[in-house]
Amino acid sequence: MLETLIELQPEILKATGETLLMLAICLTAAVVLGGALGVLVFLTSPGQSLGRFRGFNLVANGLINVVRSFPFIILLVAISPFTRVIAGTSIGPLAASVPLSIAAIFYFARLIEQTLRDVPRGVIEAAEAMGASPLQIVRHVLLVEGRSGLVLAVTVLAVSFLSYSAVAGVVGGGGIGDLAIRYGYYRFQTDVMVITIVLLVILVQTIQILGQQLARRVDKR
Amino acid sequence: MPSTASPKPAIELRDVSRRFTDPGGHVVGLRPTSLIVPEGEIHGIIGFSGAGKSTLLRLVNLLERPDAGEVIVHGENLTRLAPAGLRRARHRIGMIFQHFNLLHNQTVADNVALPMRIAGADPARIRERVAACLDFVGLAAKADVYPGRLSGGQKQRVAIARALAPEPHVLLADEPTSALDPRTTLDLLEVLADANRRFGVTILLVSHEMEVIRRLCQRVSVMEAGQIVEQLDIAGGQIPAGSRLASWLADYGSVGPAASPSPVGAPAAVPHHHFALEAAHA
Repeated sequence: MLETLIELQPEILKATGETLLMLAICLTAAVVLGGALGVLVFLTSPGQSLGRFRGFNLVANGLINVVRSFPFIILLVAISPFTRVIAGTSIGPLAASVPLSIAAIFYFARLIEQTLRDVPRGVIEAAEAMGASPLQIVRHVLLVEGRSGLVLAVTVLAVSFLSYSAVAGVVGGGGIGDLAIRYGYYRFQTDVMVITIVLLVILVQTIQILGQQLARRVDKR
Repeated sequence: MPSTASPKPAIELRDVSRRFTDPGGHVVGLRPTSLIVPEGEIHGIIGFSGAGKSTLLRLVNLLERPDAGEVIVHGENLTRLAPAGLRRARHRIGMIFQHFNLLHNQTVADNVALPMRIAGADPARIRERVAACLDFVGLAAKADVYPGRLSGGQKQRVAIARALAPEPHVLLADEPTSALDPRTTLDLLEVLADANRRFGVTILLVSHEMEVIRRLCQRVSVMEAGQIVEQLDIAGGQIPAGSRLASWLADYGSVGPAASPSPVGAPAAVPHHHFALEAAHA
């Protein structure tokens, strides 16, 4: 096992780098675009400050559900023409980042929308009574009172998409999952399989512990 | 109805109505109701639960939109304003709530600063007002503490400081003492009375506790089934004999074991001191 580890060290490092790259891209897309979408869906839900935009709320909710219905591997294949347009290719970590980002955006939008429901209605109402605009409510209330939930949402997102990125390995996406499939699965190299799984376990543990610590630190409730 | 001569009303509700359908399918809410609160007055609204007290209060800053009628605060017809104009008008209407509604992830000072930040005030001015208002409610030492570490009474003081920071014309108080014990309630009423005396802020207060209304308010509107059925002058702490409120007190009021003392020189006309309409009704 140690021999394999030494022998495959460059491959393992490269795969880890690719996994982290895919994660970085899809998490950034999810936090920026999915976060914005989630906040909008929350604000336009009935009884909230933009509740009058019922149509937007229905359409956005429907879209989130549709995208989230796709098994990830099907989404990966289904949007490959689109991937080719965006990334110029349909293989490799950059290409895999396109379907990963799309899945992550809608996944995170739902997570955020649900997390923001934990912010007490009374606090939002107090800000409305002060004359806060919807944007000020987001900035001064939702992102402040919801922040520890939001950190945990990013943590869940990161862990889920670490595992999704391994699925991308099936279609030549690169990364740790790709390594596991090429060596561990196709070549029956159990030791490589074990190494990749240990690596993934370490990554998941690290993300989870960091996320929980940060969430606790920002929570003053 | 006692007449009050004042140059310009701080709050004027003209035939406002608001209908809801409650979970049981009954139509409830406000029947067309009017109310005038002169500048500088402390006006109470009392009634059984479901009488529409909170709805009436929430109409004043349009947290609740009336189905019909007009809401005029400091000469400005809020019902005719566009969203941006309404937000500007709300900068000068403070509000405090039964459950305080503070931001728990912000320090006391940041909570007090919030309405001024929302209004886009100058940072130096915000610092000055935050210090002054925290000093006023006696919590200057708690500026950097998070609300989670304060008692209920202290939280409501922070909420009062927050409401007063932007120098409002009007302060709306929705059951502000209902989550507090009797002694804390008295302290808090003193803070509200003081704010009214020193800053001239008009206060509209909803409560189901007669004692709160009697100690603080100069006039009271009695609500029943979505309407104001009676308005009384109670500036001396006296509830006029023969009024509907007095007969309610006689019907439902019970003498508490530890009745709190009456204001000096103003014995209540009715011998029931601590009285909760809501509890009696339940």
